Amino acid sequence: MKDPELDRILSAEEELVPSSGFVRNVMDAVRLEASAPPPIPFPWKRALPGLVLCGLALIAACVMALLRSDSPRVPQTLSPSIFSTVSSGLSELFHAANASGLSWIILALLLTLISVKLSLRLTGGRS
Amino acid sequence: MSASDDQADVEKVLAGHVDAFENIVRRWQGPLVNLAYRFCRDRGRAEDMAQEAFLRAYRSLHQWRKDAAFSTWLFALATNLYRSELRRIPVRSVSIDDVPEPKDSREPGGVEAENRDRSVRRAVITLPMKYREALTLFYFHEMDVPAAAQSLGLPEGTIKARLFRGREMLRSKLLLWKEGL
Repeated sequence: MKDPELDRILSAEEELVPSSGFVRNVMDAVRLEASAPPPIPFPWKRALPGLVLCGLALIAACVMALLRSDSPRVPQTLSPSIFSTVSSGLSELFHAANASGLSWIILALLLTLISVKLSLRLTGGRS
Repeated sequence: MSASDDQADVEKVLAGHVDAFENIVRRWQGPLVNLAYRFCRDRGRAEDMAQEAFLRAYRSLHQWRKDAAFSTWLFALATNLYRSELRRIPVRSVSIDDVPEPKDSREPGGVEAENRDRSVRRAVITLPMKYREALTLFYFHEMDVPAAAQSLGLPEGTIKARLFRGREMLRSKLLLWKEGL
């Protein structure tokens, strides 16, 4: 089968006439859409103080963890023991974080973020 | 169909006159339903997909930038929707063997030729999606490569390559099929 023949066959498609109720159905759907209340925006004004407080708590926990640690945080020179200093600092940070419940705060923040994202997605991403 | 009519109706709808959208639906129902039909070969589903395309057009009417014709924007939106709909729920997988037998068309214009033409059109459904899309849009836009490229959001070179490969596959499928008879 040659190209021109294929072109002729595929171009000469019979036209389909939409059913008589098509326009009415579309307009019913459009009017329903138009009359639907706008999606509820995410209450940023109410949520913002909570989110700010969580952020502040996180920063405070980090600062407390750093203050509790006894190891030098800024080494004077780059010594071979830099890795051990960093690792001991990190482990102290980890212990302090555990003691102050930082992991729970992070988990709570993550859950908040997920629930915010989910609610935005459910409301069509419009806020 | 005039572009100024579309623009006037769009402005009315955006100003809050929902009923003006009916003019747009009346003007474009034929092309949108036919385009959907070429994608799925099912009249009922074609109307459902076209209705969804109109609804989506209504929702995103404010996104139409007037630098492109309304029809170009509408076809691109509809094509995008049809493609994702068919990815979500593919057309009933048609084997080439399920397509009606193509008859020898030594008698042009006869019933046999008509049957063969119909079979060739249905055989397009058996092609992989990307070739099927290119062929469908190319012939829907009366063999206008730039229009097909715009609707699919692809470079013209890609469309030409897919058309070439799609035709080749169609020919070989039809040939294999005839030999198997």
